[in-house]
Amino acid sequence: MTRKYELVYIVSPEASDAQVAELHTQVEQIAQRLAGTIEKTDNWGRRKLAYEIGPHKEGTYVLETINGSGELMKEIDRRLKVSDLIIRHLVVRVDEEETVIERVRNRRTETMRRRRVARGLPPDRQPGEGQRGDVDDDRDDRFDLNEGLER
Amino acid sequence: MNGSKRSFGGGGGGRGKTGAQGAQQGKDGQRRPMFRRRKVCKFCADKIDDINYKDTKLLMPFVPERAKILPRRISGTCAMHQRKLRTAIMRARQLALIPYTAE
Repeated sequence: MTRKYELVYIVSPEASDAQVAELHTQVEQIAQRLAGTIEKTDNWGRRKLAYEIGPHKEGTYVLETINGSGELMKEIDRRLKVSDLIIRHLVVRVDEEETVIERVRNRRTETMRRRRVARGLPPDRQPGEGQRGDVDDDRDDRFDLNEGLER
Repeated sequence: MNGSKRSFGGGGGGRGKTGAQGAQQGKDGQRRPMFRRRKVCKFCADKIDDINYKDTKLLMPFVPERAKILPRRISGTCAMHQRKLRTAIMRARQLALIPYTAE
């Protein structure tokens, strides 16, 4: 049973780039050992923390998307808890939520298309048609833009 | 379901911002002491399906100064989205993306 998880961990700001990379390989090794794969790694770089955690005011954030079993995540969680360099981490299971989001999106485009056909319009939006409120493209770039600014 | 909500939101938003209270005294003002703009769930209106804990830009408006979660009665968020918002905010707090308190 493979599931999809997101792991975010905050590495102490004192850690060098090499140490951050080493933590990543450690996670990768655990994943390999327990039959999991790392889908994506994203280093957000150094950010200010919203509150102080012990002596730290900033930290290096790393996001990993991992496909694997619950036992794998348990092991990673245990290892990260022990590690001194990591000041905080969070594991979230995402596959179920993603399917729900996908379904909601599909259903919305479906109804929209049906309504448009009922009104005697072509099912897809034509360029330069209607007002802003009618934008059917719910994967609009506003979201991506935000994410781009974050990193 | 989504369609009807959206059209409501568009109408309400266009009629007047909260600032228009003073200008709209007339007969309306006598019947109801204060004119309130109809509140609309931001996530329904903008069709944001994914309330993600990593998206601080999205979450910040819902944690004003004291960093408490803005209640539904003020923000107008629908129950489903408020629930999702809450989990997202709590996750973001764990990762120190959003504060628990302000001083």
